[in-house]
Parts: sequence; C-alpha cells; structure tokens
Amino acid sequence: MDTTEIRLCGIGGQGLILGARVLAKALVSEGRKVAQSQSYEPTSRGELSRADLLVGDEAPDYPLATALDLALILDQAAAGACDGLLKPSAMVLADSEKVPAPPQGAFTTYSYPFAAAAAELGTTRAANMAALGALVALSGICAPESLIGAIGAIGSRSHLARNTDAVHAGLRMVRDASPVPDPAKPRPGS
Amino acid sequence: MLDGRPFDILDYLRRDLMPHFLCPGCGHGIALRALLWAVHETGIAKDRLAVISGIGCAGRLAAYIDANTFHVPHGRALPFATGLKIARPDLAVVVLTGDGDCLAIGGNHLIHACRRNLDLTCVMLNNEVYGMTGGQVSPTTGAGRLTTTTPQGNREPAFDACGLAEAAGAGLVGRELTLHPPTLKNVIKEGLAHPGFSFIEVMSDCTEIFGRKNEMGSSGEMILSQASAMRPTSYGSRGATAPFHPNAFPTGVLARNERPEYGAHLRAASASDDGHD
Amino acid sequence: MSVQVRNLQGNEACALGAIAAGCRFYAGYPITPSSEIAERMAEALPKVGGAFVQMEDEIASIAAVLGAEVGGTKAMTATSGPGFSLKQEVLGFAAAAEIPCVVVNVMRGGPSTGMPTRPSQGDMMQARWGTHGDHPVIALAPASVSEVYTQTARAFNLSERFRIPAVVLYDEVIGHLQETVDLRESATLELAERKWARGSPATHLPYAETDDGVPVMSRPGDGHRDHMTGLTHGEDGFPTQNPEAVTRAMDRLLGKLERDRDAIDAVDMLACEDADIVVVACGIVARAARRAVRDLRAEGLAAGLFRPITLWPFPEQAFARAAEAAKIVLVAEMNAGQLRLEVERLCPPGARVVGLGRIDGTPIAPAEIRAKVQELTQDA
Repeated sequence: MDTTEIRLCGIGGQGLILGARVLAKALVSEGRKVAQSQSYEPTSRGELSRADLLVGDEAPDYPLATALDLALILDQAAAGACDGLLKPSAMVLADSEKVPAPPQGAFTTYSYPFAAAAAELGTTRAANMAALGALVALSGICAPESLIGAIGAIGSRSHLARNTDAVHAGLRMVRDASPVPDPAKPRPGS
Repeated sequence: MLDGRPFDILDYLRRDLMPHFLCPGCGHGIALRALLWAVHETGIAKDRLAVISGIGCAGRLAAYIDANTFHVPHGRALPFATGLKIARPDLAVVVLTGDGDCLAIGGNHLIHACRRNLDLTCVMLNNEVYGMTGGQVSPTTGAGRLTTTTPQGNREPAFDACGLAEAAGAGLVGRELTLHPPTLKNVIKEGLAHPGFSFIEVMSDCTEIFGRKNEMGSSGEMILSQASAMRPTSYGSRGATAPFHPNAFPTGVLARNERPEYGAHLRAASASDDGHD
Repeated sequence: MSVQVRNLQGNEACALGAIAAGCRFYAGYPITPSSEIAERMAEALPKVGGAFVQMEDEIASIAAVLGAEVGGTKAMTATSGPGFSLKQEVLGFAAAAEIPCVVVNVMRGGPSTGMPTRPSQGDMMQARWGTHGDHPVIALAPASVSEVYTQTARAFNLSERFRIPAVVLYDEVIGHLQETVDLRESATLELAERKWARGSPATHLPYAETDDGVPVMSRPGDGHRDHMTGLTHGEDGFPTQNPEAVTRAMDRLLGKLERDRDAIDAVDMLACEDADIVVVACGIVARAARRAVRDLRAEGLAAGLFRPITLWPFPEQAFARAAEAAKIVLVAEMNAGQLRLEVERLCPPGARVVGLGRIDGTPIAPAEIRAKVQELTQDA
C-alpha cells in the first residue's frame, strides 16, 4: 500500500492550512484518499505552522506523518520542521528568498521564488498557491487542473483569479526553468 | 381548567402519595396550592403541564402534582426545563425550586434563564434556609439569623433574588407572601400568562427548623412578621436612596420586561433555514 | 466524484453523524478541542428543523439535552475532559432515570486543564466510572473520521434502544484529523427509535420490567403524567428506599445491557488468531498499532491487534477469544495505564499484560509499538 507523505510548513499567516485543504480537495477529486492533519496550538501569527497530507489509494493505517516524501518550506523558521522525517528520496521545495538555509541531507532540495512571484501578482499572500503549483509540477502528485479546480471550490471567490495566476506561476517555475538544487546559487532573478 | 369546575386542589394532586412529607407549619403547602390554583385558572390541562424541580424541600413538591413531573439534580431544573421547552413548545413548563437550589448551586442557570427569556415560569420558594439537609444558611437567610452553619449569626447579606432576576432581564418578576393565597395565586398567574421567562419568588416559612432556631414563633407568627416587614413601596421606585433591606420585601409584580421570547426566535431561525441545506 | 465523498474533519463528522441519526437538539459550551462540533451543529441544526443552544456552562448543557430528550427530541452535547468532569453529575441522573442522550468527549491532556490542544486517552476510566454510584454506561471509541460518523450515529441508536447515556470517546488527533469519507454510508443507516408508551395511562408503570429489560417511556402530553426522579425509584417512578424494591430496580438497571450484548459489543481485530502478542489499543493509538502489526507480521513476528470499538461495556468475550493463544498482551494507550486495568482483569491466565503508555501529549507512533513488541519478543 503506497502512501505519499507531504508536509507544508512555514509560519502562521502564510496560508499553509488553506493550501493543504486545497491540495487535499484536488487529490480527493482524483479519487485518492487523503488524511490531513495540522499543527493545532494557540499559535499567533508568525509562529511555526504546518499541515501534513498522507495520500494513497486506500486510507492509511496510521494517518500522521512518519516519513516524508515531499516537503514545502516557506519560511526559515520552519526549516527544522521536517528534521528526521525526510526520506532520502524526498523532494524539498523551499522559498529561495524566505528560506536562505534550507535543510540539508540525502534528499533533494529545490529553491523557487514563490514569495517574489506572488509579489509580482500583487500580494505575497499568494505564495502558498505558487508553491502548490510548483509542488504539483515537480511531483506529479495530481493534475494541475485538479489543483485549479480545488481552488475554485475552496478558496476565496474574490481571490480566485489571483490564486489561479499564482498556481500557474508556480507551474511555470518548474516547467520553464531548471530548478536550483543548490540553495547557495539562487535562481536568477529571484 | 377542568370543565369549568371550581378549583379543587385534589384534582391536581397525586392523592395516593399522601400524606405529604412537609413539616407542620411549612409555607410550601400554601405555595403549592397557589401554583395549582393559578394553573387551574389559567386553563392549563394537566397533560400539558410539565413541572421540573430540583433538590430540597421545594424540589420534593413536583412529585405531588398530577402532571408531567421531573425531579432533577440539585440546581439543574432551569437548564433541564430549557431543553424541554425548546423541544416541546406545546407544554407549559414550570420550574419549582428553592432558594438554595435556584440562587446558590443553580445561580448561574437563573441568571442566564432570565437573560435568554425562554417562556418558562420559575417559582422559587424562599424559606431562608436549607431545610432538607437540616437547617444550614442559604443565600436568602436574613442577616444575623442563626442556622446550623451560622452558630454566631449569619454574616452574609441576603440575596435580593427579584433584583437579580430583573437585572438579568427576566420578562416578568414578582414576589408574594403566603399570607394572601389569592394574591399569590394572581402573581403566579401573571407569570404563567407572560410569554417569556417569569420569575416568581414566594416568601415561604420554615417553622420547624429555621423559625424554631430563631425563636420566630408559630407559622402564623412567622407569616405575620413577614407581612409587617413588607414595604408597601413599589419595586420600581426603589432607588439608590432606599437600599435593599435584607429582611424586608416589596411584593407584587415588580418588573416587566417586554423582550422577544427565545423559543420563538429559535423556531423562526429554524423555519427560515428550512430546506436550504 | 460524488460530493458525498470528501475530506471531513473528525469533529465535523461527529456533527454530521449525529444529524443523520436524528439528533435535532444540541446544547453545549465551548471547549478545546471539541468546539468544532458545536460550531457545525449551530450551522446545521436550523437547516433540519432542529435547535442549537450555547448554554451558560457544561452542566447546563447536558441538563438541557436531557430536557429535550424527555420531550422526545434526540439530543447531544460535546465536550472535553474538564467539561466531561462537570457533566458527570447529570450524566448520572441520565443513567438513573434512564434518559437517552449522547455525550461526546474529545480527549485532551489532563488532569485538570492539562494540555488543551494535545491528545490524550486519559478519560477512559472516567467514561466508565466518572459519576457516583453503580450504573451501566455505553462508551464508543472510534478510530477514524468515518468511524466517528458511524459510531456517533450508533451511539444514538444504542442510547435510544437501551435508554442509557452513550458516550463517544475519541482523542484530539481523531477530532482534528481530516480524512476522505464516503457519506453515502448514511443512506444505509438504520435508526433506532425509543419505545414510547402507547397503552392506557391507567395501567402504565414507567419503570416496569419488560421483555428486554428496557422500560417504556411516556411522552409528556400523551396523558401518562409520569414522574421521573434521580432518587432511587420503584416501577411507578416514585422514590423508594424499600430494600426489596431498590434491589429489584437496581438489578434491572445494572443488567439491562447484558440482555443483548451482541447489539452493543463491537471490536476490530487484525491477525489475532495465531498471535503470540496481541496489542490492545483505541483511537489514534490503534491506528499506530495497526501499522506496527502489519510491519511486524512482514518481519515474521506473530503480532495481532485487538481494538475495542465499544469500549464500555468492555467486549469481554471477543477479547477472551482474541487473547486465547497469546503469551503477551500489550496495552498501548495515551494515559498511565487505564485500559490496562481492564485488560489485566480479563486476560487469560496464560498471558502476561504489559503496558505502553504516553502522557506527554504526543501520539504513540507505530515505531514505538513495533520496538516494544520486538523487545518483548526477545525477552520471551
């Protein structure tokens, strides 16, 4: 029974929980079973926040993350949030600007300018959606259309166009440019 | 109203439970009679009457009433009645409670029942003491009174239950003595008729335990001393210049507060949402 | 894909399961980590003709629930440890007066205020013995979001059928977990309705013995004009202290669940038949144990899982069968050894009982159970 374990982490206010709900909706729309959990604390804005998804064709025996296949890190404060959990085969996506020192290990780290791309669209708050676009493009966990459909179903109506644009920006980062596995060499233009 | 017959308390009592357990001289019997008289004159059928009581001497009275009766844990009559009335707006729901049940262990429920203004009638029998447990001080025991737990006299001021109910927003507030059963009956009738939460305080007397301990004489003497302590001023005119006197009580219908009834509000919310899931 | 298949939070599933079971009244008081149940009920109940009331406190909430229930409306309240403590007084009244109701306890770290946002299974014994005196109770312990839905609905059915308070007990992880659920299950849900008195009020005895031990309740307004009390009462519903009458009443009360345990007991077992080590666990810990048992089996170790879905009354017979061949029974739970007490009481003489507890607010992980079983196997 193959289960893919995904962690989205950063700080409160970055829309990680909403991002997880959108991704879960997209996956469920493709017939996958998703177990989603998240940090549940009296957290104030700016503190560590995370959401986990376990994705499979069957519901997982144990629904909490134990070995991550995919991780998204949107703030340096969350760089250690996956410590000890990343599989050697894991892919880590980090914001090239907000996470100057992403975790190091046997896994592969990719840095992309999610926040910068979102800022170009008018608000850094759409960085979560750009990151989801990149995560989907890089991992192939679901079709981009499913992700965009899920934004339409869950996200705010007033931000639908902006969030969709952000997903496309994230998709393009992966498709149009080679990623930057070495964070020491940030992607040009970021 | 039983086919237009004049009021006969025996029509409303579970006669096979007699004799009752009340002490000789206890004012609760007069209060019970006044309540049932008011029920009769209001025309509430026994099948449609639900009486909820808590714990204590007042709490035991519900069992004697030939209606749908519920004897629930100490202090919890009001929230139990709240659930029943919301589920069954067709019933007339009366809470029969005592001063300890209603103001001490159930005090929080009273405040919020007043505030919520659900169509309940709460009749609180105030005998100034925990009689069932042997005569301990209660929230309404007068200043200086002797009880088994105030051997040197009560140092706490008595609670003005009606003042509390009014301040918390009860739809109707009233207080009466047992000296004038027809007057008492009329105040309870006002409560039963009021479409909202009504709070009626009945000044009862505990002759056997409280009266004896404080050398207050016979039941008749206790009731007459309550009457002499009655202040004829209306409740509404009592201002800052006339502070609450713990052993003196204005009586009658003391406050009316025309506010939306809570159950109607719930039903309206439910109806407007119907079928839009 | 049907909209009926979607990701749902455990607490949300609890509310939806209640409504599917016919719950039309909810009274509650906010408390972490159960508040989403109240929020969801506040939204959903008016849409189905029901009513939601946020009461002044936890005690008022369960008292209002019982009031609605005696009026004939299925009702529920939900809380967490501190609130569950407060509700015990009125829960005992429900048990004594035999008023159906459903109480959900989403367990958080204790004692006292404890760790409000962290999971625990520290209320297992409180669910059984929390209120004073001898009384039966039903407690159900779901371990997944879809099971929260079905077991909440089942709690209503059992509560109505046996006229007993039914507790739904799960930890914070299950309460906040979101899983993909197929709500089409609700279409097949069978609803149990209370037996209501229909005969002549003159001959009706509200607590009379019946074929199934469950007395017939009368509905206010139907002409019976019964009395209901928390005082020990005879068949007529009125208080009695006559030793014979009390014994008869208590024997029926304490024995009523035993007359149809098949309807009450529910367990989930994995590979217990030939297991040398049987792991006993509930809720999120059972999910970890399931994974551990699969991994251990893959390693060639004869491990099994026994998961009581009905926690109280504890499914003794099923457990006896599950543990028949076992040498060791490992009780894994997020407390200091509560369920272990019951397992020790019931364990076959050939097996020894070992506890694996955690009280730090962190779920027990599959690897921990696996390592413990490996360690015990080496010792054996």
